[in-house]
Amino acid sequence: MYSNLLFNIFSTFLLISALLVILASNPVFSLLFLVASFLFASFILLLLECELLALLFITIYVGAIAILFLFAVMLLEFKASNLRSNVIRYLPVGIVFGLVLTSFFFFEIIKFFPEAGFELNIYQNNYINWYDLIDSTTENEALGHVLYSYFVLQFLVAGLILLVVLFGIVYLTNKFNVVKPGAQVMFKQLSKNISLK
Amino acid sequence: MADLKKIGLYSVLSLSTFSLFSEYFLAISVLYITIVLVLIVYSVKNIMVQKALSNAIGVTLLMACYLIINDDILLSNEFSFYLSIVNDNLGYLTKFTVCFFSALVFFIISDSLQEQMLTSFEYLLILLLAVLGLMLLCSSNDLLTAYLAIELTSLSSYLLASFRNTSSYSVEAGVKYFITGAISSALFLLGSSLIYACSGSIFFSDFWDLFSYPGTYHFSWIDEKAHYVSVITEFHPRFATDKTFEDADPRLLAETLYYMVQEQTTDIPWYVAFVHDLLDKANMSDSYVPTVSLLSIDKDSFKLIEVGMVLILFSIFIKLSLAPFHLWSLDVYEGSPTTSTLFFAVMTKLSLFVFLIRFSYSALYSFNDERQFYFLSIAILSVFVGSFGGLKQRKLKTLLAYSSVSHMGYCLLALSGVTLFGIRILLFYLLVYMMSSISTWFTILLLRLKQSLSTSKYSKELGDIALLGKSNAALALGLSITMFSIAGLPPLIGFVSKIGVFLVLLKEKFYFICSLAILCSVVSTFYYIRIVKVLYFENLLVGKLYYPIKTNKTIILSAVIFFLLFLFVNPSFLFLILYNIVFDSLY
Repeated sequence: MYSNLLFNIFSTFLLISALLVILASNPVFSLLFLVASFLFASFILLLLECELLALLFITIYVGAIAILFLFAVMLLEFKASNLRSNVIRYLPVGIVFGLVLTSFFFFEIIKFFPEAGFELNIYQNNYINWYDLIDSTTENEALGHVLYSYFVLQFLVAGLILLVVLFGIVYLTNKFNVVKPGAQVMFKQLSKNISLK
Repeated sequence: MADLKKIGLYSVLSLSTFSLFSEYFLAISVLYITIVLVLIVYSVKNIMVQKALSNAIGVTLLMACYLIINDDILLSNEFSFYLSIVNDNLGYLTKFTVCFFSALVFFIISDSLQEQMLTSFEYLLILLLAVLGLMLLCSSNDLLTAYLAIELTSLSSYLLASFRNTSSYSVEAGVKYFITGAISSALFLLGSSLIYACSGSIFFSDFWDLFSYPGTYHFSWIDEKAHYVSVITEFHPRFATDKTFEDADPRLLAETLYYMVQEQTTDIPWYVAFVHDLLDKANMSDSYVPTVSLLSIDKDSFKLIEVGMVLILFSIFIKLSLAPFHLWSLDVYEGSPTTSTLFFAVMTKLSLFVFLIRFSYSALYSFNDERQFYFLSIAILSVFVGSFGGLKQRKLKTLLAYSSVSHMGYCLLALSGVTLFGIRILLFYLLVYMMSSISTWFTILLLRLKQSLSTSKYSKELGDIALLGKSNAALALGLSITMFSIAGLPPLIGFVSKIGVFLVLLKEKFYFICSLAILCSVVSTFYYIRIVKVLYFENLLVGKLYYPIKTNKTIILSAVIFFLLFLFVNPSFLFLILYNIVFDSLY
């Protein structure tokens, strides 16, 4: 019963967050709701027993892509007022276009989910996987079994690749010995002894 | 399921059934050098360690060569790391070659790093990791290890190309290399995923088992009525008893056989295939023996695997800078620091060709008819572009980049004949190419103009080596011998390798392509001989002024030129080694 309830809750919040991404006035709020929608998608994946994909969603989507958007918003300073100025004027045409373009799409997708005639109660799911109650392996555990035994060499080589990138980034983005010619080195100036004779 | 003590983390930690000792040694030496050098360089002010470190890494690579020679497990012709690593003669010899030539590269660049202002130790560490990636690629048996090794080398190369971050040419070269390399990696992954979708495994030995029934190879001309089955049966009539099919046109032959067999069989789906006498290793003749037999894969899978294979091939062609994927290499070779270009031009090609050999001859051998089209067309285009593109170039590094494009075209021509002789000629050509490239690039590295403007961009031009014959006769003689060898003129060893490529083409009866390649080779001779002309016969009063050259590393140059000059007299010991490789490996 709980998995259905949780699925419905997370789906609702995912839809709300996705809608608020485009409806929010401040671009930082849009980003926040984008991160929230990624999170809820990740929770739904956890319910579907795809733990690796869920964690990958958080690592890559939130950790890399949302941070990329954050830097873009930070560097290009958006004026929030310009984005929300003319909504009422464009709303009727927008609704017409939206309905016309997306309704055909939805009519096709609905055909993929035919109704099951014998379903009693869609809010109560009575399926129990008995074997999983005794001996279940999560996806991460199974991947770990394979990754560190059969593919340990590839794992170590991936670590070496990250090491190369680390060397390169540290060298390319750091300025060493940044004493500007002609700049004053404070310590040297203060340690000079002056005698007034 | 393999025993967990033989694979996995246990085998890495306890070194049981571990056959990658040289790579292990190099990886641990990288970590050790990092720790030691960070403690030294960042505590003592203004210390420059690049010369000592470069010589030390050269000695380390020679020790890795010694490890390779003395390793008994390397020649066991078995797989280790659960089929990821194959230990056969091909991997063994190419690993040794890569290690040895890398050691030479490190010895060569140690004196010239200071004048190029590349004195930070990270440069040499990244170079060492690139060499590690090349070594790992030589013995990889599956798509994942090959991809990781290619990525290790490529990422190191991007950093090496952009290492001089005060020069905009260097940064531009790095960005161009990065974008092109990222696209190439994406194509490789897409191709691998398509092949995985059809086969369920990533190992080349599994591809051999799944996609080619021993003794039968796929022929691309099919009739619409022919069906495929996924069951292998014992139906194997051979038609070559009383007729000789050696000079017959393959398509006519296939049609004849089709109608001959169609009368006899009604229900069993079959297919006309050709056997190359490759597996009959005692008899080294390469004539066609037609056989009718059944295929082991269905038509849709076949096309999808071909798409995957073509994507992987294109990715490797981009990395090898073959035309029409060569445009990045011209700018990258020109903009990178000269030591990085030396590494790109000399070292990266051999391992990629080893991967290509394993992929074409061991894994997907039954796709030869489709693959031959791609190999031949791209190879002859590379030869054409490399020959005609260098004609108008006056910048030395771009000229040598065009020359490298045409050389890779010749190598791919050697690989496109589906014979073992082709593989031998390819490896021989690559060995000779590496020797002549080291000689050329070392000479270019040694010559530095003494000019007053140290702030402007200094790119080496043809005019920089004008009248070198008067100022440094030995260096000019070495460079001209190398140029004659690259051009393919007898009595130097470059002639033997080029003749081998043309012989491979003639064996396969590709007469038109062979004549095109010969004509383009003649055209490319122009810009090699023009360098010799500029060295000796330029119409100037005086030559240029150079910085003096330290002589302790030029012994390497002398040794390489000695080999170029006198290998023509007796190249058979190289041929013996290469014969040994191709005979024993490639299950």
